[in-house]
Amino acid sequence: MTTAAQEFLRWATEKSADLKHRRILRKNIDHYDHSLLKILPTYSNYEVARERSATIRHDAVEHLDQYLLQFEAKIQERGGHVFWAETAEEARAYVVSLARERGVKRIVKSKSMVTEEIHLTPALEKIGCRVWETDLGEWIVQLRNEPPYHIVAPAMHLSRVEIAELFREKLGGITSDDPKELVEAARLALRGAFFSAEMGISGANFLVADAGLVAITTNEGNGRLCTTLPKIHVVVTGIEKVIAHLSDLAVLWPTLTTAATGRMLATYKTMIGGPRGPDEVDGPEEFHVVLLDNGRSELLADTEQRDVLRCIRCAACLNVCPVYQQVGGHAYGTTYQGPIGSVLTPHLRGPEFDHLSYASSLCGKCTSVCPVKIDLHHHLLQNRRNTVRKGRRPLSERMAFRGWRWLMMGSGRYAWLSKLGLRAIRVLSGMGANPLKKWTEYRAAPEFPEKSFREMWRDGDV
Amino acid sequence: MSEIANPSRARILRRIGTALRDKTSLPTATITPLFAPVTNSLQRFVEECKANITETIVTRDGAESGARLRLVLAGIPEGEVFAEDTPEIRQLLQGFDGNLRWSSDGPPAESSRATITRCHALVALTGSVVTSSACGGRGASVVAPVHVVIARQSQIVPDLESALKLVADEGLPQKASYVGLITGCSRTGDIEKQLVIGAHGPQRVVVILEVNS
Repeated sequence: MTTAAQEFLRWATEKSADLKHRRILRKNIDHYDHSLLKILPTYSNYEVARERSATIRHDAVEHLDQYLLQFEAKIQERGGHVFWAETAEEARAYVVSLARERGVKRIVKSKSMVTEEIHLTPALEKIGCRVWETDLGEWIVQLRNEPPYHIVAPAMHLSRVEIAELFREKLGGITSDDPKELVEAARLALRGAFFSAEMGISGANFLVADAGLVAITTNEGNGRLCTTLPKIHVVVTGIEKVIAHLSDLAVLWPTLTTAATGRMLATYKTMIGGPRGPDEVDGPEEFHVVLLDNGRSELLADTEQRDVLRCIRCAACLNVCPVYQQVGGHAYGTTYQGPIGSVLTPHLRGPEFDHLSYASSLCGKCTSVCPVKIDLHHHLLQNRRNTVRKGRRPLSERMAFRGWRWLMMGSGRYAWLSKLGLRAIRVLSGMGANPLKKWTEYRAAPEFPEKSFREMWRDGDV
Repeated sequence: MSEIANPSRARILRRIGTALRDKTSLPTATITPLFAPVTNSLQRFVEECKANITETIVTRDGAESGARLRLVLAGIPEGEVFAEDTPEIRQLLQGFDGNLRWSSDGPPAESSRATITRCHALVALTGSVVTSSACGGRGASVVAPVHVVIARQSQIVPDLESALKLVADEGLPQKASYVGLITGCSRTGDIEKQLVIGAHGPQRVVVILEVNS
């Protein structure tokens, strides 16, 4: 059996050498960079937007229980149901039994990373439900039987040609790879699903405590249809999504949209507070909110990394990450990719994902763009430290660092041993047993000068 | 489901409570506005609409609004038109001889060619329409390829802060199970980030805006 760490290395090796993959990834990220450059000057000062967003989310996390209870009371007042799930399994079980009890056969979903986190769709399919992802990117990866490649742009790794081929195979009647034609084909194919589904499932971008509203952001309108047409609407989201005030959205909405897509405001900013009211024309008869913990309250207890719970899942850290830009989203093997995924996943899924703390050059660009100012790269470093402290690194590595420490503590032995080491490298390389092979396999071998710096200094060469 | 037992609720809340005994701090942000103040609301609204692909039709009175509305409807393929049932919209649609369904008769059909609704406010800064389920229902702003919004200049608010304040002050979350901001028409960039208009929602959003004469 291969471990998650081995899988990561295999994918990373393959993907970073895949020129087609690199080209499509570059094209998408260039487009994002370009949009961002255009939108940032419309802000008086985008730094203020980041600071205010961070403050709002910080306050929310520091008063999590208070705001969640306030939110819950408002939802229940309007006849909605709130269910608290400690684990992924418990959240899945709630939605599955609801679907079973109501005789639900067809389900439409709008984009939700938390439903990916708890693997909800396979559980619903197991009881015989047909489930449609309705965000175009999500639907494309669903048709390919793949997980999302990117938190915001799930099908970012695919070219229009590949998507056209997929649609030709699955839908038929596709004549070109023009995105316009492909979108129209998707619209027609999903239209029937929207109007016949008995259950709509969505995520939430924010849970507004004072007004008791679930705030959802979409561009396509699929989120609006999922929360309008089926007779049951289920929101599945994390406990950390709550915010105190409705007015906070005046800051968070534009900041989220800008960080995520380089626009000022997404098309549909939807706020839902309950099922269809007695005098209303339409809307679901039932409204359920599932609040998922799944390790979040433990992260809350870790004051060093509590700020991770501020995350609004904009994926800005993925777009700027030099590691994500080389290996892409699928290499991570996680629901959340990139720097935020590397920080979060060891907390959510345990030591099997320790290696992701090392999938970083610690350059700090993620931290510098995070709209809620999460100290991402330091958290990667802290996770490495924690891994070492808990004795989860191999003995060889521990011995090597102990040796290194000993070497660095004495200048005489350092000078002598580094000279000896260099000679050993030369001799071994000459014999075809390069000890630096792991390094030089993908990189040009450095040329070692004849004299060390010490010798140059001694001989007056510098 | 009748309220089912949920023992996890207490356990999660207990864990949160224990965790939050230790507080963390963050330097307080300076509360300055994100954007430069909007000066000419009407002009800004129309400009922002143009940028986000919302059509605006500026009219001087109800008669002109009615004429322009009928012109919009004459320009779309034949089929049922859904309209929010209000005296104002009934007035505007007088003389329209197409197939009409009023919100008082139920939600819009899947095959609706256009929907016509009021709105609660317009946001100048972003070119957005503030709507809710009280404006003809939830589906009225999203199921048809064309959504026509009937509005007045006095409904324009400068920015997002004022729009959200209006939502709270008018008690919309208590009155309507859905409240939303609509900024432009339905779109997607999921295929190679290329913008395509008209994904699942309207391809056209038209605001007929009666200005103060």
